[in-house]
Amino acid sequence: MKSIIKLSIILLIFTFASCKENKSESNKEGAAIESTQADKEGQLYSCPMHPEVHGKQGEVCSVCGMKLTEPVTQAAAAPEKVKVQAEPLSKSSFSIDGILNNYLKLKNALANDDSKEAANAAKELNVTLTNLKSDKIEAKFKKEYADIAEDAKEHAEHIGDNPGKIEHQREHFAMLSTDVNDLIKIFGTDKKIYRDYCPMYDQGKSGYWISETKEIKNPYYGSEMLTCGGITNEW
Amino acid sequence: MKKVFKKIFITAFVIFLLMQLYQPARNFDYGQVSVAHFTKTYAVPENVETILRTSCYDCHSNNTNYPSYSNIQPIRLFMDSHINEGKENLNFSEWGNYSSRKQRSKLNEISKQIEDGEMPLASYTLIHRNATLTTAQKEEVTDWIDKMKDSLSSKH
Repeated sequence: MKSIIKLSIILLIFTFASCKENKSESNKEGAAIESTQADKEGQLYSCPMHPEVHGKQGEVCSVCGMKLTEPVTQAAAAPEKVKVQAEPLSKSSFSIDGILNNYLKLKNALANDDSKEAANAAKELNVTLTNLKSDKIEAKFKKEYADIAEDAKEHAEHIGDNPGKIEHQREHFAMLSTDVNDLIKIFGTDKKIYRDYCPMYDQGKSGYWISETKEIKNPYYGSEMLTCGGITNEW
Repeated sequence: MKKVFKKIFITAFVIFLLMQLYQPARNFDYGQVSVAHFTKTYAVPENVETILRTSCYDCHSNNTNYPSYSNIQPIRLFMDSHINEGKENLNFSEWGNYSSRKQRSKLNEISKQIEDGEMPLASYTLIHRNATLTTAQKEEVTDWIDKMKDSLSSKH
């Protein structure tokens, strides 16, 4: 009798504890940026709104007059011209357009800060990836495709499972964007697309995305900084 | 009325006792660390390895350090479902079998989940108090992972 009551109490604690969600820690990135500012002399800074404007610390942006506060990472410090991509590596008739369409829908949902819609688009992407048959692919690209597809599927699942947690969705979107970029490099597409880059996201490490429009609509920040970023490649 | 209660409790107790008979195989490697283990793929510094062992391996490897109350059902069922889910998402014992793309993704994820305080799970640290990561410990792990990630991506 007593043991049953005890047990049910233990069980209750377990169930409640597992439902509890940890609130994310206070903004760590801000602190990290500040510390790098302190220990790097000769570091270039860019305007938070116009990443192409560079200058020393304390200077202001020549376009909008804002203070240059964003440390320029190496990738951004040597501004690359927009590359027009070469022919795809694969000559097969395998098409990634289905994946691309779902991806673009997801991207637009994130740019609109619509976490729920992003989750739905990611679920569609997951279905597309599951149903897409890889038998048309040449043997030498099969393994690579399988690796990319497996990875992309996992990210799509995470995004689909986390409506309401848009920051978490964006983290996976960044990794998914690498996968999609690699797919385009191998298989190409008939669509006119661009690869964009936001130097502010993840300290400049992973803020890439693929877009169907020339206009910048930042999926990593949405309305907070919708036009932050630039085009790095085009197909 | 009293009789009805008594009956219900007796039945519940019998079911509880019967449940104890179900003791599935444990998630335990008997000291045989798999060749694909995380620590055999990278030279993991000792401090990081210790943190991983106390805070991650119970659910994310093929070797769980079971507490004594794990012998009681249905606690055990609850634990096993967590362990299975954990291993499916990330298994340090199978690390070497992941594609390099997956390894990079997982490193990214591990570091982000720790940074955001999502892992280790609150339900886990509630009981395993020593698995809670301090800010310094979090940094030890994430700094090392970020370094690993950079060295991996420069190879490609």
